[in-house]
Amino acid sequence: MTISTSHDAAAAPQGHGAAHANHSLTGFIIFLCSESVIFLAFFSGYAVLKLSALQWLPPGVEGLEWRTPLLYTVVLVSSSGTVALAERCLSRGKLWGFRAFWLLSMAMGAVFLYGQAIEWRSLGFGITSGSFGGCFYLLTGFHGLHVLSGILLMALMLQRSFRPANYAAGEQGVIATSLFWHFVDVIWVLLFLLLYAWS
Amino acid sequence: MTSSAGVDARILRAPHPVPGAPDNWKRFFTFNTDAKVIGIQYIATALFFLLVGGLLAMIMRGELITPAADLVDRTVYNGLYTMHGTIMLFLFIFPVLNGLNNLLIPCMIGAPDMAFPKLNAAAFWLVPVFGVILMASFLVPGGPASSGWWSYPPVSLQNPLGHLINGEALWILAVALSGISSIMGAVNFVTTILRMRAPGMTLSRMPIFCWTAFSAQTIQLIGLPALTGGAVMLLFDLVVGTSFYRPEGGGDPVLYQHFFWFYSHPAVYVIILPVFGVFSELFPVYARKPLFGYPFVAGASLVIVGLSLIVWVHHMFPSGVPQWMRDAFMVTTMLIAVPTGIKVFAWLATLWGGKLRLNTAMLFALGGLFNFVFAGVTGIMLATVPVDIHVNNTYFVVGHFHYVIYGAATMGVYAAIYHWFPKFTGHMYYEGLGKLHFLLTFIGTNLNFFPMHPLGLMGMPRRVSSYDPEFAFWNVIASLGAFLLGVSIIPFLLNLVSSWVRGAKAPANPWNAIGLEWLLPSPPPAENFEEHVPTVISGPYGYGTGRPLVEHQAEIERALQQA
Amino acid sequence: MTSTPRRFPLPRLIGLALWLVLLTLLSVWMGAQVPRWLPVSASSAAPLVDGLFGFETAVATFVFVGVVSVMVWVVLFNRAEKYDISDAEPIEGNTTLEITWTVIPLVLVMAIAAYTIQVNRQIGLIGPMDHAHGPALGGGEVQVIARQWSWEFRYPVAGVSSTELHLPLDRRLGLQLESDDVIHGFYVPAFRLKQQVIPGRSITLFITPTRAGRYRLRDSEYSGTWFAANQADVVVESEEAYQSWLSRAARLPLQPGLSDAAREFAQQRSGERPSGYATIQPAPPPLVNVPGSNTLPHDG
Repeated sequence: MTISTSHDAAAAPQGHGAAHANHSLTGFIIFLCSESVIFLAFFSGYAVLKLSALQWLPPGVEGLEWRTPLLYTVVLVSSSGTVALAERCLSRGKLWGFRAFWLLSMAMGAVFLYGQAIEWRSLGFGITSGSFGGCFYLLTGFHGLHVLSGILLMALMLQRSFRPANYAAGEQGVIATSLFWHFVDVIWVLLFLLLYAWS
Repeated sequence: MTSSAGVDARILRAPHPVPGAPDNWKRFFTFNTDAKVIGIQYIATALFFLLVGGLLAMIMRGELITPAADLVDRTVYNGLYTMHGTIMLFLFIFPVLNGLNNLLIPCMIGAPDMAFPKLNAAAFWLVPVFGVILMASFLVPGGPASSGWWSYPPVSLQNPLGHLINGEALWILAVALSGISSIMGAVNFVTTILRMRAPGMTLSRMPIFCWTAFSAQTIQLIGLPALTGGAVMLLFDLVVGTSFYRPEGGGDPVLYQHFFWFYSHPAVYVIILPVFGVFSELFPVYARKPLFGYPFVAGASLVIVGLSLIVWVHHMFPSGVPQWMRDAFMVTTMLIAVPTGIKVFAWLATLWGGKLRLNTAMLFALGGLFNFVFAGVTGIMLATVPVDIHVNNTYFVVGHFHYVIYGAATMGVYAAIYHWFPKFTGHMYYEGLGKLHFLLTFIGTNLNFFPMHPLGLMGMPRRVSSYDPEFAFWNVIASLGAFLLGVSIIPFLLNLVSSWVRGAKAPANPWNAIGLEWLLPSPPPAENFEEHVPTVISGPYGYGTGRPLVEHQAEIERALQQA
Repeated sequence: MTSTPRRFPLPRLIGLALWLVLLTLLSVWMGAQVPRWLPVSASSAAPLVDGLFGFETAVATFVFVGVVSVMVWVVLFNRAEKYDISDAEPIEGNTTLEITWTVIPLVLVMAIAAYTIQVNRQIGLIGPMDHAHGPALGGGEVQVIARQWSWEFRYPVAGVSSTELHLPLDRRLGLQLESDDVIHGFYVPAFRLKQQVIPGRSITLFITPTRAGRYRLRDSEYSGTWFAANQADVVVESEEAYQSWLSRAARLPLQPGLSDAAREFAQQRSGERPSGYATIQPAPPPLVNVPGSNTLPHDG
């Protein structure tokens, strides 16, 4: 399959641009795989520190409240669904439907970030409170940065959708962005299990 | 389809501005997106930093020529050895290999350029940026980072002056930028190899250099993020005051060692795999025989990738890891000898019964193989736990990895530079100067790095600024070797510059080699084959078989000769 | 290779066999040279390590010289004539050979690994996972405290402290390794033993000294400015001499022990010695009963 694609790319007179979008998606998937290793590194560091700690939680901290974060988790995870719906609309040519679901997903991401900010402000420990504090803020903060990047990427794709006929033949950028969004969601689920459920 | 008319049109068209054309120097200082320009930018930058790193090494060897710490202060020595290692790895060997990747991969697979030319240029321009940051760390109060290129905490977290901008912070920043640059490069190389090969070039017909580059870049993609994660935590500990690695806050300094070596051992394979590729390309050309057992050599690269990711604890045998871990990681480390052995034996079988031509490129390849085998057998010794416990962190290890990184990898890089010099500059190099360079390098390398083995066995720790008098003899010899290596660079640079400026004009295929890059004019036009990519009809290295590599090969060669 | 007799006629086979015999003899001889390259062996672990290293040296010599002799052979006898631009005979591979040189190295390295694991068991440096956190007093007779940049040795039972490590001959004893600041490395080349000393952990290292004498202890994990000067002496003596040293030492008053780093730092402060970049200040020399010496001639 790879062979024939590169063949087509080379043989087509203007094959350069058309093939390029295809490469972008390949490149982006490779990048995502690589990116996931950073999270894997953080996760394993967290596990090692937690398992070997004599006193894991900082003094005065009983544990993390998990009910409200669970609520925000549901919001974030369901935004993966709305992104998928948006993509379906796009593939059927319903541009407004795409925009609506896309915007909804962005909003849900923003709600998640808001919830995160509220939680950060209410916690009784800081980033320097032992290795637990460091891990908590590093993991949630690094993930939060990804959510933010996801929202910004989606905004970019939304803005592109207003260019006439831009998305007529589907858009690699949208596919890449939604992949990224699913990735961010999966990471969060793992993170939630590690931080809140595992105690 | 590639018609003969198409071939003629390509050859006869007025050549694009090419690297090396006298009116064209400016393009090397711009954000150029041509992989061939970027390749030369990488190599030139890397050679500049080779000089810087080499100068630091010579000051170190000057200090070590006597037992006492008398030439420079201990703090300065510690900064020097830290920066020497950092520069040689992140600013010399990685960039120079990325330069070869840029020059060779698109030409070898018949692609017009890399998959993402702008990303490619951005990845390159990060190199001078973090190079400047690293150099600037010599000027900040407190001096450069001086905790070794491993930067193990808690030593690396000690900040005597307490400034926020300190050598260690700049070091972490520079290494992080280097990581980003390498990831950008790796995404590009892997995508290019997977998606932009010429028609007919199946994976099983791809040149070994591309196989090894692909393997090496895969390691970058898997390993580098782990180091980045570990380095982010180190930066937080240093700047914000978290305690990931600080024992007093419940952190674990050994955790950093795991992160560091999870990447930094495979990094050695990132360095040596492309050099294996260079050996596999050069031996068939200069022995006039096909590469022996192509599928095994290609497959061995992938096996090395897999194994390289599960050996890192062998750097930590004395770190207090449990016995079962020592045993398990010793076994995985030993296993790497098997695919590596397959490659070495394949090269020997390629050479056996050949018709060898010992020009400079071939001499460097043979010398590199010699040094690599030596490094390989000392590597097996280091894999076995009890011996490693004795020589770990001694000069034995320093000798071992300098045989790998200078003796094998850098000599392989020299071989590659000489071999492909005519292709990408359009000029032949001077054999006499080249052979002088080889002779000085080969003698210098062995004089410099062999004495480190007896020193390590006697128990001289690495990274020392002073040592007991019983180590003096071998240290003097090593220092003389280091100064000889310094001298060996002179004929090299002289050769590069003078050959490029006034060397004889190079034909398209001066070595009578087989490969897509040799079916391009020297130097190749900006977009290589453009839309006239030949269709590959057989595997590489068909020396002596009379098998054409591509359709219409005779016509292409005739057109190249006429042009 | 014997499947192609045309390429290997009888005289060549005899030559090859002779060469292999020579190579084997050379390898065995090289393996026997190992003791000359290593410091004297002064612990129960040392002969095991040296034996393994000798075996590896023999194997390594065989492999290295074997490969190099092929390279020398082709460089000497397989050169192209000056104007010969023709290709050589195109042999693209041989699956039997490939399998041979995959299986033989595999068997060889696994044999080395098995031998090594056996040696590991015998040395039994540290039992599995017995390097727990906190002061897990696991039979540590001597407490070794590493600092930037000095070594202090405490004998809690005898109430003695020193900056020179004294050990009794032919008795297995535990050293409890602790660090006050950064990671150091406890390394006595004559013992062939090395262990990182990690802050926040207490690691017990067992040693059986087998030869009386004065040896060098070196810091083997880079620990900052005066890392190279962070050395101490180890004195191995008979049980009686050791006990009498302990009882004599216990009566001596406390005084500053050895610290080359503190001495050099003081010289830099007073301007007697040039200084460089900013540095962490050395910890003051530990107060000990016996400073000992680190300048006397040592063995190996």
